[in-house]
Amino acid sequence: MEKWKERLNKRTGPWLFLSPYLVLTLIFFIYPFIYAIILAFYQTNGPKSWSFVGLENFAFVLADGDFHIAVWNTTIFALASILVQLPLSLGMALLLNSKKDRLKGVFRLILFSPYLVGQIFVGIIFSVIFMPRYGMFNRFLQEVTGWGLEKRWLENPNLVMPALIIAAMWMYVGFNMIYFLAALQNVDQNLEEAALIDGANPWQLFWAVTFPAIKPVVLFVVVMSTIGSYQLFELPYALLQNAAGVAGYGPKDSGLTIVGYLYRTAFEAGDLGTGAAIGWLLAIIIFTISFVQMKIGRGLETESVL
Amino acid sequence: MPKFPYGKVPFCILLIAISTGIFNLVIAFSKRGEKPDLVFVSFARSHMEGYEEATEEFQRDHGVKVQLQLVSARTVKSRLQNAFLTNANVPDVVEILADTMGTFTKGPIEDVGFVDLTDRLHAEGLYDRFVESRYSRLSRLGRIFALPHDVHPLMLCYRSDLVEELGIDVDSLKTWDDFTKMGRQITRDLDGDGNPDQYALDLPANGDMLTPLLLQRKEPLFTQDGQLKINNHTVVDTIIWYIHQSRGKNRIAFSAGWGQTLAKTVTDGLVLFYFCPDWRTKHFETDTPHLSGKMKLMPLPAWEIGGGRVSTWGGTGLAITKACKNQKLAWEFAKVLYLKAEDLGKRFKASYIIPPVKDAWDLPEFKEPVPFYTNQPIGALYAEMAKDVPSNYASPYYELARNKLNEVFINAALYYDKSGDDGLEEYIKRELVRVSAYVENRVQHNIFYRKRIAN
Repeated sequence: MEKWKERLNKRTGPWLFLSPYLVLTLIFFIYPFIYAIILAFYQTNGPKSWSFVGLENFAFVLADGDFHIAVWNTTIFALASILVQLPLSLGMALLLNSKKDRLKGVFRLILFSPYLVGQIFVGIIFSVIFMPRYGMFNRFLQEVTGWGLEKRWLENPNLVMPALIIAAMWMYVGFNMIYFLAALQNVDQNLEEAALIDGANPWQLFWAVTFPAIKPVVLFVVVMSTIGSYQLFELPYALLQNAAGVAGYGPKDSGLTIVGYLYRTAFEAGDLGTGAAIGWLLAIIIFTISFVQMKIGRGLETESVL
Repeated sequence: MPKFPYGKVPFCILLIAISTGIFNLVIAFSKRGEKPDLVFVSFARSHMEGYEEATEEFQRDHGVKVQLQLVSARTVKSRLQNAFLTNANVPDVVEILADTMGTFTKGPIEDVGFVDLTDRLHAEGLYDRFVESRYSRLSRLGRIFALPHDVHPLMLCYRSDLVEELGIDVDSLKTWDDFTKMGRQITRDLDGDGNPDQYALDLPANGDMLTPLLLQRKEPLFTQDGQLKINNHTVVDTIIWYIHQSRGKNRIAFSAGWGQTLAKTVTDGLVLFYFCPDWRTKHFETDTPHLSGKMKLMPLPAWEIGGGRVSTWGGTGLAITKACKNQKLAWEFAKVLYLKAEDLGKRFKASYIIPPVKDAWDLPEFKEPVPFYTNQPIGALYAEMAKDVPSNYASPYYELARNKLNEVFINAALYYDKSGDDGLEEYIKRELVRVSAYVENRVQHNIFYRKRIAN
């Protein structure tokens, strides 16, 4: 009995407990991963019709105008996330961090709560908010500026991306703020006090003391936001479901993202081979951008240490 | 009793895992006995509600169990298509949007996941009972893969109280030119805020009405043999007309959207005339019941004097999947749903959708006045048009071509906003050449379809 226990303890036991995870990973990750590699080199039309096409799927996607639109849209969204959304999150975190009153928790909850409802819900809410004539946003614009009552945010290809960025901002600013707030609360107070005694103004205090201290978190949030932006799908899909153009992608595909393009190709048009090729291209894009961001981020960290 | 070697917590985890596993197995086994003989999927709640009574009767008569499932239209299409592609489970009988039929038939004909109904229809003498043009969108290479559910003739629905108040004689609106002339007079800013408060026509801002308007001009997107034909003068002319109605200072149209905004627009009288296939009449009645007796229907104005005033918008088909184990039973069920005369009359009253079964139009239900539409016999009005509804041919690239046509419209509208009519026609022609080449490129990328066209 003791021997059995010992053997089970040392060898079999860990595997036994790992087995559900390993089995699920094998079924839902390793197998589809390998299958997707194979699929990317084929054109299929059901289980009976498979035709090897070599790199044709990749060549088709890279030359396809829709793919270029999707990459452009996604990149614009990612840039807006990093350059507009994250500074706003950081600003709000700084504001909340400076207040030491009881309402801090309430504000934190209010600002974070849009994230809890999910992209589909936010998409639907904003599709109503952006309605021409009757939508809340246009009513507000008309009241304040005397312009914009009939502005068609979701039907004008030039306005779809700003609308999408506004909706995403409402959803994610509070979420990213939580990361920044947590980082700010860990900044050494002694350093800040020392800087203030030395006569640093708030701007100098932020750039010389606070920002270097929270830089690892900033880098993490930037990388995660970029990855999240390149995986964007549900928000534009729900937002533009009843809008002009192709349902879910907006007029002139102005709301088409790379994952949207993948979904449309693979699951709406039924071209699984090309869909797999898009998936691989997306993985390469995300990996490359994240790698570059990490490199730059680490380079900056080293620089600041020196 | 020996203790579990890893302690209490892992023991509890193991216990929970085993008990949930057993629970799931028990549930799975207990449901095996409940397996229905037929699974029927539809995307339209109104269809489903109409089928409930007939299904119950069918179950009683045949001693079988039929399960009805309601799934959204886009989900039906994507799930079904992917199930066909991956050999996964599919329903036995399914209603699909006619626009999507092409996507299911893009490969070799033997790979189509639906049962070919052509021979059954001819053998049982049913082919001629349906409006022939409705087969066109549910067929490939002359083979019919679904029964047509509807005809969806297109009319204009209007706020009769306001139109009469404005002194408009709808009988005089015989052509779109007449309509535009009237529209220019009544589209106006009533409160001086710079935005019109009364428009003549509801016209989707994305060009969605282009295809029905082109059908009215006998210009389907594809020919019967699957060739794209959007690069021609009629298409250019229709796009320019659409732009003139919906953009600029002289516009007469507002894009009223769907659902609540549409209901509000109708209620406020912001727009007076709406494109209205039969399926939309029920929406108006349900969403704006307070407008009962204030709405009427009229035929579409023609494109030229004496020209056709009939078109169609939308369509559904019922298909039987090849995976269905009892195809004979499924066929009987399909016939009960789509061909049983007394049910067709009842169902029309519930949905106002004209069936494509010609002999049903003589039923009394189709001739009854409808109070919401100021006692017009809307069944008879739509039935009068149904026989002349134009053919619209299926293609695996139908949705793509329609979307690209809308893209041409949007680009041309933006061009018009910037440069007006100068060079607009040439611009549209260039755009049509571009999108035609785009669709052709997609066709060429599909190795199976390419081979089939070559053969």
